[in-house]
Amino acid sequence: MPAALHGDVDLSDPEAKTQTRALNQFLAGVELKAFKIAQAALRHEDDALDAVQDAMLQLARAYAGRPAQEWKPLFYRILENRIRDMQRRRTVRGRIMAWLPARADDEDDDYDPIAQAASGEPQPVRRLELDEAVGALDAALRKLPPRQQQAFLLRALEGLDVAETALAMGCSEGSVKTHYFRAVQALRAQLGELL
Amino acid sequence: MSAADEVSQFERNARLVLEESVRRIDARTRSRLNQARHAALEAAGTRRRAWWSGLTLMPAAGAVTAALLVAFVLWQRAPQLAPPATLEAQHAAIEDVDLLTDNDAIDLMEGWDGSFYEWAAAQSDGNGESNG
Repeated sequence: MPAALHGDVDLSDPEAKTQTRALNQFLAGVELKAFKIAQAALRHEDDALDAVQDAMLQLARAYAGRPAQEWKPLFYRILENRIRDMQRRRTVRGRIMAWLPARADDEDDDYDPIAQAASGEPQPVRRLELDEAVGALDAALRKLPPRQQQAFLLRALEGLDVAETALAMGCSEGSVKTHYFRAVQALRAQLGELL
Repeated sequence: MSAADEVSQFERNARLVLEESVRRIDARTRSRLNQARHAALEAAGTRRRAWWSGLTLMPAAGAVTAALLVAFVLWQRAPQLAPPATLEAQHAAIEDVDLLTDNDAIDLMEGWDGSFYEWAAAQSDGNGESNG
C-alpha cells in the first residue's frame, strides 16, 4: 500500500515535503494573531476560530503553490472576506432571531476554567497592569469602525507594511494610511493615559 | 517630545499590549487552532496528491497518443508507396487497347506512309490558304 494513501502528505516527494513544512511554519506563525484579529472583528470566539480555520483551508487548497512571501497578505485577504461573510450572515440571523423568544447564551454552556487559564505567567504587579491595558485596548478596538480596526491590527499586531495591508484589505495604500492614522488617533484619545 | 514621537511610542506600547493579549490566548483555543492548521495541511496534501495522481496517468495517455500518431502517419504514407496511375497514363492505356482491338487501325499502322500523309497535309493547307 502506498505510504500516502490516507490523507498524509506524500513524503516521497521532497518538494512537497518542503512546501508542507513551510506552510506549517507560516500558519503556526499567524494563527494566534489571526485569531485575535478575527475575535476583535466578530466578538465571538467560536466564530473567530471558524473564520481562521476557513482561511487556513482556503489558503492551503488554493494558494499553497504560490511563493511563500505572498501567503501573508493572501491569508489575511481571505480572512477578511470570511469575517465579512460571517458578519453579514450574523446580521441576517439577528433579524430572524429578533422574532424568536430569548434564550440563554451558548457561550456559557461549555465553559472550562482550566482550559480558559492564560498560558503566560507574568509577575503579579505587571500582570495587573497588563490586565488593565489589555482589557482597555480590547474595549477601545471594539469601538473602532471595522476598516480602522482592521488596518490597525494588521499593521500593529501582524506587522504588515502599507502595501501588504492594502492587498489584504483590498483597498489602496492611501486608504490604508488614512484608516490607520484615524485608528491611532482614536485609540490614543481613549488610551493615551494608559499606554 | 514631538507629536510624531508620541504617536510612535503609543504605537509601540499598543503593539506590546496586543502581543500580550495574543500570549494570553487560552490552551483550548490554541489546541483548536493547531487542529485547524493540521486539517489545512492535510487538505493541501490531498490536493497535491490529486494533481500528482493525474500526472501518473500521463505515461498511459502519452503511449495511446503516440500509437494513434504512428497509425495516422502510416495511414498517410501508405498510398505513397504505390502511387496511383496518372490521368495521361490511363488515357495512353485506353488508346493502346483501342489500337489492339481495331483491325483498321492496325493495318494503317503497318502500311504507314509518312511522306504521303505529309504531302496530303501540305496540299490541304495550300488549298485552305488559296480559298481563304
